[in-house]
Amino acid sequence: MSRREAAASAAPRPSGLAGMSLACRDVSFSYEEARAPIPALRDVSFVLPAGGSLALMGASGSGKSTLLQVIRGLDAPESGAVVLDGAAPVDVGYAARQREVGLVFQAPELQLFASTARDDVAFGPRRLGWPEDRVSTAVEEALDVVGLPPAHFAERHPYTLSGGEQRRLALAGVLAMRPRLLLLDEPFVSLDPGTRRQLVGILERLKAAGVTLLLATHDADLAWALCEELLVLREGRAAAAGAWDFSAAGGRLLAANRLREPFFVELWRRLGRDPQRAPRTAAAAAEDLS
Amino acid sequence: MTSSPDETAPLLDIRGLHYRYAGASADALADLDLQVHEGELVAVVGANGSGKSTLARLLGGLEKPTAARLARACGHDLLADDGRIAARRDVGVLFQNPENQLVAQCVEDDVAFGLENLAWPPADIRRRVDEMLARFGLEELHLREPHMLSGGQKQRTALAGVIAVPRRVLVLDEPTAMLDPAGRDEVLAAVRELHGEGLAVVYVTQEMDEAVGADRVVALERGTEAYAGDADGLFADVALVRRLGLGLPAAGELALALAERGRGLRGLPLTMDALLEALGGAP
Repeated sequence: MSRREAAASAAPRPSGLAGMSLACRDVSFSYEEARAPIPALRDVSFVLPAGGSLALMGASGSGKSTLLQVIRGLDAPESGAVVLDGAAPVDVGYAARQREVGLVFQAPELQLFASTARDDVAFGPRRLGWPEDRVSTAVEEALDVVGLPPAHFAERHPYTLSGGEQRRLALAGVLAMRPRLLLLDEPFVSLDPGTRRQLVGILERLKAAGVTLLLATHDADLAWALCEELLVLREGRAAAAGAWDFSAAGGRLLAANRLREPFFVELWRRLGRDPQRAPRTAAAAAEDLS
Repeated sequence: MTSSPDETAPLLDIRGLHYRYAGASADALADLDLQVHEGELVAVVGANGSGKSTLARLLGGLEKPTAARLARACGHDLLADDGRIAARRDVGVLFQNPENQLVAQCVEDDVAFGLENLAWPPADIRRRVDEMLARFGLEELHLREPHMLSGGQKQRTALAGVIAVPRRVLVLDEPTAMLDPAGRDEVLAAVRELHGEGLAVVYVTQEMDEAVGADRVVALERGTEAYAGDADGLFADVALVRRLGLGLPAAGELALALAERGRGLRGLPLTMDALLEALGGAP
């Protein structure tokens, strides 16, 4: 990245984070293996509007992690295109948009490496070439957002943090770069229920701030609680994309993809209510039932 | 195990166990007691960092306790080097992250790895490996290289390898964490089946609904036992559950939210079926 590009991407953004829209157009990708390439994504197409939230679900091995890496630009699609804010890869400004896509890897705490929480979170912003005072502000904000107040946590060694705190620190490292589209790969795995609740709260606040969310998860309850829409991958193909569908056909599609209905959807169905109008949280369900 | 000298002796017998990581200023486990008998399924829950995974490694003979009044696994002394090595054969441990225990070039070699180390005859290994591949739906992947597997497929391969060796105790550290819902059901069914066959199981989990079916639940808090008893007793103490960084199964969370709104249900339902019954029975 040139200094000029860095300066452009570092330009202060109007307050309030405008989410980035995402469209995948016929995206295909294969992994190379000695015998033959293994196709991981085949002609995947979907649209996620700016500020929207999409749950990415599918059986183990269906291509979820690969899709996130391709959207982030870590792997180039063999064919098709990832369109960010309406810009295709050939368009001017695409690289800058790509830098506004944040990817939180599965078990991201395994990649913590600096000797203080502050330096770990600062790594990304520094690599973007931001001036040190901007880096510092971004780091402190990000630590606050994930519930690790800098006064207590900034100078801690990452390895002295609990597993849940490490996960949130790794998230802060991505948030510090102010992503307008946030991709999360199984962020809830191995977290205790209390930390999961905290993370749900963090993601809800990011959504409310306008960040576009793409959440790969096996957890139907959290996907339903957080995401307006659903994309189901099956052997690398989009088996369904759009609104959640709890009709009989929708139920068969979930089962065929090793998924299950969210708890409250099943509850609503078994209570003889319309599953399509099932509540997304326990509080909403209780409100409705009391 | 009719040849066992003492039928009532617990397979895992831990008293006053301490463990401290090198350079740490506090114990990761402190004064912990745990007895697990043949055929028991004990769920271990607790916040991240409460010591669950450390306990799993100690029970499997993979770490030496810093101190203990007594630490035995299947009769082997976990305080002695040779005791820990012997314990590793009787106690199978499945780690949280299957990446760390896949060692071979392909799925079926990985499943066979433990049996080869025990020098089983090749024909017996073949039969046992095929049985395990079928049990975990890995037949079609049997020649796949581990690094080409998804997280869930890796976890199933690792579990198949642990279970391939006949065990008396299984210690599972969040075995379903990375699986899709169907994969999770498969593993839970396999664990229930193994438990039904008389195996003692220690099951570390963050999924509260998985703890509901256990014979006993042990909750850890900063390396000490904060609760031991049945699941109903743990979840009935909501203040304790929250303090421990845990939650209730979804049915229980809804029952609490209803109670806050003045519609208390009889009892505390912890499953969908119990919740539906309680809702139907409420005025």
